[in-house]
Formats: sequence, structure tokens, C-alpha cells
Amino acid sequence: MSERMIRSQIPLEERSLSPGSACQGCGAALAARLAFKALGPNVIRLMIPCCPDTMTNNPLVVGVFEGGGAHLSGISRGLKAINRSDVTAVGFFGDGGTYDIGMQGLSAAAERNENILVITKDNEAYMNTGNQRSGSTPQYAMTSTNPIGPKSRGKARPKKNIPLIFAAHYVPYVATASVAFPEDLIAKVSYAKEVEGFRLIVIQSPCPVGWRYSPEKTIEVSRIGVQSGVWPLYEVIDGDKFKLSYKPKELKPVSEYIRYQARFRHVTDVEVAEVQKRATSNWEQLLRSDELGRLFI
Amino acid sequence: MVGNKACATGVKLARVQVASAYPITPQTTITQYLSEMHANAEFDFDFVNVEGELTAQLIVQGASRVGARTFTCTAGPGLLYMHHPMQETGTWRLPVVMAVVHRGYKGMMPDHSDLMSQQWTGWIHWYVEHAQEILDTALMAYKIAEDMRVRIPVAFGYDGYVLSYTAEPVEIPDQETVDAWLPPNKPYPSILPDGYDARKFMMELMEMLGAGDPQNAWKTHHEAILGSEQVLRETMDSFEKTFGRRYGNGMIETYMMEDAEAAIVAMGTIAGSTRSAVDRLRSEGKKVGLIKLRSFIPFPETDFKEWAEKVDAFAVVDRSICPGKGGPVFNKLRSTLYNVEERPDILQFHAGLGGKEVRIGDLCNVGEKALKVVQGGMVESLVEWV
Repeated sequence: MSERMIRSQIPLEERSLSPGSACQGCGAALAARLAFKALGPNVIRLMIPCCPDTMTNNPLVVGVFEGGGAHLSGISRGLKAINRSDVTAVGFFGDGGTYDIGMQGLSAAAERNENILVITKDNEAYMNTGNQRSGSTPQYAMTSTNPIGPKSRGKARPKKNIPLIFAAHYVPYVATASVAFPEDLIAKVSYAKEVEGFRLIVIQSPCPVGWRYSPEKTIEVSRIGVQSGVWPLYEVIDGDKFKLSYKPKELKPVSEYIRYQARFRHVTDVEVAEVQKRATSNWEQLLRSDELGRLFI
Repeated sequence: MVGNKACATGVKLARVQVASAYPITPQTTITQYLSEMHANAEFDFDFVNVEGELTAQLIVQGASRVGARTFTCTAGPGLLYMHHPMQETGTWRLPVVMAVVHRGYKGMMPDHSDLMSQQWTGWIHWYVEHAQEILDTALMAYKIAEDMRVRIPVAFGYDGYVLSYTAEPVEIPDQETVDAWLPPNKPYPSILPDGYDARKFMMELMEMLGAGDPQNAWKTHHEAILGSEQVLRETMDSFEKTFGRRYGNGMIETYMMEDAEAAIVAMGTIAGSTRSAVDRLRSEGKKVGLIKLRSFIPFPETDFKEWAEKVDAFAVVDRSICPGKGGPVFNKLRSTLYNVEERPDILQFHAGLGGKEVRIGDLCNVGEKALKVVQGGMVESLVEWV
């Protein structure tokens, strides 16, 4: 498990090549900035089609959308073949490349326990192409392909639980993080960098454009997401050892998270209650796992 | 030794560092031979058994990106499945080598429609006739793909079942000779982080890919593939010097063409059967020869223009078809010879599609029909289904 960090331990050196082409208040750009601070120079970064978060001063490989995990495995195998296993193969993907089109290759890479580090900046839709739904879009969220109308209340089904799906591959390290908790995020990336085998960190990366809130509220939105149990922060080792990284005494109601975002502005109290019920039930499961120190599914 | 074993042996002799494949009939036994070689530590390499061809292509693409020598292999539908990353391997001009064990789409028996369907991926495409040639071609493929004048991935195809699972005598060169002839690969441009300079890297990459201008990138890519013809000819000479075998000039191989009046143009195992057909026709005093097409991309335009001056008819046997458009070799040859002064007659024969049996007698008929045209006789149609 990662060691607790304080803000002054965050590396000062910037790896982001500014100015980036991200929107104001982009959660993913912040996720990239923080993650690559922790990763340092000795990495090869694989980029697949995704939102242009921020370029970093690292060797960059650009690959096909559907092949993130597979391509990264190849880079890692190649590095081993030329005796350069000291270089970390890092994939910085979006939720489309992780949850959806790249899922097969990524799952297989996890099953083979490839020596790769995958970081997903999860903004819960295809934001690069204008907010189309993804497997990561939460229930009732309005997207450009889930418009509200007589036959649609936004996305019909909840998002996939990708971190636990990958934990069920028994891989060495799976973690969730949030841009509102930078010390925790950096601690997890720094820890993951030193682990050998398949590692996945899913970073909650709010998108003001798609989630429809004012750009200066990115940190507030992410924080309330974590505090309400919609985005719990945790680590899983070998699909077994489990630890919650952030454990409030009492969860805030999900309505507080939902009301920030106009993508949910159509939801009714009944629908909020349904989201609340799922968030509470997930949280209880994670709390129980945390008490046991073992993932309890 | 069966064709697939010859292929795996070639991979071993080439000291491939990372290989990856997904089993598909009739390529399957290559993955098994490579898995055995890996399990028994027969040589120092990494074999990745993956969950699909898309990943197989991406594993070799990623490994080649950082400078490892790589190999993958597939057949028919598997080749289609890896189409997108193949395009990318071509675009980044990575020296990946791939064996395609031909499998048709209408049924599982071989024809060339799998590799023919990948003409736009920016690879070099060769077609191989027998098991010895498979082994030798695997070695030559690395030599050419990694040549700094080329830097283009190579796909070579051979017919499934007929070659993949059929045993033939194969002479295996010793490792020292191969090592001396085929030195290890160096990555270009280097993507490793030591002293990585984003600007320098981009400049090198742009220079290779055509100065950041997509149309210019296509131009340099096209020219690099055309330029590989010269490198292939040189490689064939040095291969013969070292190993004592050669396959024509690399682009084409001719048989009984010295005084031929008509030529049968064929690829793969059909070229092998055509040798027997030519023997039979010659024994009857009929002056027919064989031009075996080895390299479809780049196409041996110069060779065919030269032969067009000497023979009066080409009978093209196409083992693949673009429905509604015709045989790719026939169409390519006809457009190649459009500008020559005395255009020979070019006949189209569709044969062996979906593994349909092609008998020696069928190929004799092909030769006889071409001769009939040469002698001014009437034929019903220039297109025939054998």
C-alpha cells in the first residue's frame, strides 16, 4: 500500500509542456500534471485517442485507440528484450480506451500480468469528440448520445466498476484516485511505479464542459464526489488486500454531488434516491472490506 | 520439415527477440513450435501468447518501437482483424516481419485474398512457393525491413495446408553463418528516455515520415517501398554468396523462359505446379515458360517490361479476386505494360480460389491457350475460370 504523503512532498519539477490545449478547469490535465510529476523522466508514455489533457516531457508513443493495453504490453516486452526494464511503460488513457474499446486487450494484459502501468483519467464520457456516452458514464447523466426526451432519462444504466473488474484479475495493484486529493494521487502513482506487473490507477477527472459546471469548481466537484461515496478512494493488492484511502465518519448525500452538475439537472428525487441507494450499498461493501483488510465482493 | 516448422526455424535463426501470435488454422502450429522453443529455452526470446490478432500485431508494434526484433504470424480472418494496427506499423515504418499462412474467406482452404486485401497498409508483400523458401525468406525479410534505406514492415505469405502442413526437405543453415549475415537490429529514431530530446526526436521522425505533412508522408512511404526493390536484389546476391541458394532476382524467379513465346505468371504453390506443367508442355515442344512473382509489393515493373519485349503473351493465374474488379496480379500487370511499345496479350485465369484444386493439366491448358493467342488463334474470352 502507498505511504501517506503531505503536500510539501509533491515534486516541484514540472513535466507538463505548457501551454496545453486543455479546456479551462480540465480535471484530466491536472491528473496528467500530477501523475507525471510522480513518474519522473524514466518512462515511455503511450497515448491513444483521448482528450488532449497535457503533453509531458517524456518519450511519447501514439497508438491505435482499441489497443492501449496491448500496445503498452509490447513496449514493455520490447524494453525487457533490450535489457531496459528500468524504463516504465506508462499508458495514460481515457475512459473510452479503458472501459470500452480497449477493454479486451487491457483485460488480457492484466491476465498475463504484463509489466505495465495504466493510468486512466476518467471523465465519464467521450469528451474529446463532444460528450458521447461511454461505459463509464454514470446512471441518469445526460450526454450528447443520451439526450433527455420522452423515451430517455439520460444514461439508463450505472457505470462499470472498472477498478474492481481489474482487481478480479488478481493483478499486483489497482487503485482509485481523485484530482481533489493530490497527495493521495501522487503517493499512489509513486508506489505503483515501483511495483512489478500490471498496475491500474483510475483517476476521477471532472470535465466542466461535459459535466456542465463552472470551470473553477473542478476541485469542489471531485471532492464532494469522494465525500459522498460516488468516487471512493482505495487500493487493492493482488485482488485481495484492501484499504480505503479516505474514510469520512459519515458520507455526504449524493444529492450534493449531483446538484453541482447540469448533466443531472433533469433527475427527480426518486432517481436521486436510487443513485443514493447504490452509492450507500457500494460504500458499505468497501467499508466491510476495509475492516477485514481484504476485498470483500 | 513442414512449412510452419520451416517458418519457426527461420524465426529462431533470425534471433527474434519478441514474437507474438494468436493461433488460427492453418497457422496454428507456428504458435505451438514457438511456444515449445520458448519453453525449452532453445534461444533467448520472448513469446507472448495473446487473446487475439489485434493484440499480436500491437505487441510486435510496441516492441519494435523500442528497438526489439519482432515476429508475428496469422492467417485469413486473423489478418483482417489486425488491419488497423498493421496500418499503424506501416505508418511508423517499423521493421516488423509477419508470416501469413494463406486462408481464404469462403471456406478455410487457401487462396491469396487475405494478404491481397491488405495492400493499402504500407507493407512489403511477398509470396512464397516452398518450405525452403519460407525459411530463407524469413531471414531475408529482416535484412530488408531493417535496412536503413527501407525501414518498412514485411509480410510474406505461403499457402495454408499445401505448404503449412506438408513436409518437404529443408536445408537449415547454421547459426554462426546467419549471425554473420544478419546483425542485430538498432532502433531508429530512439524513443528511450536517456537524453531524450522531444525536438530532436520529432525532427528525426518527421524526416523519416515526411516532414509532418501527411501527403508527403505517403510519398516518402511509397518511395521507400519502391526503393526496397534495389535492396532486395542486392540482398538476394549476398544471400546466394553466403547460403548458396537464390530465388531469381528476388522480385521474380523464371523457369524455362530463355526461348519462351508465352509466359505463365503465377505465385505461391501454384508456381510450383506450373513448373511441372511447363516441363510437360516443353516435352511436347511447346515454348512456354514460368515467371514466378515473388514480390507483389513492390511490383517488378522493370522485369515485366523487359520480358514483355521477349514474349508475346502472359497468362496470369490469380489466386485471389476482388469481386467486381478482377484478379489483382492481372490488373497490375496490365497497367504496368500499358506504356510499352509492343504490348503483349495478357490473359486472365482465376484459379485455386478457396483452395480449389489446380491440376498440372489445368496449367497446361493455361499455357496452351496463351500459345494459341501468340499464334494468332481465336479465343472465346480473355478471362477464364480454371
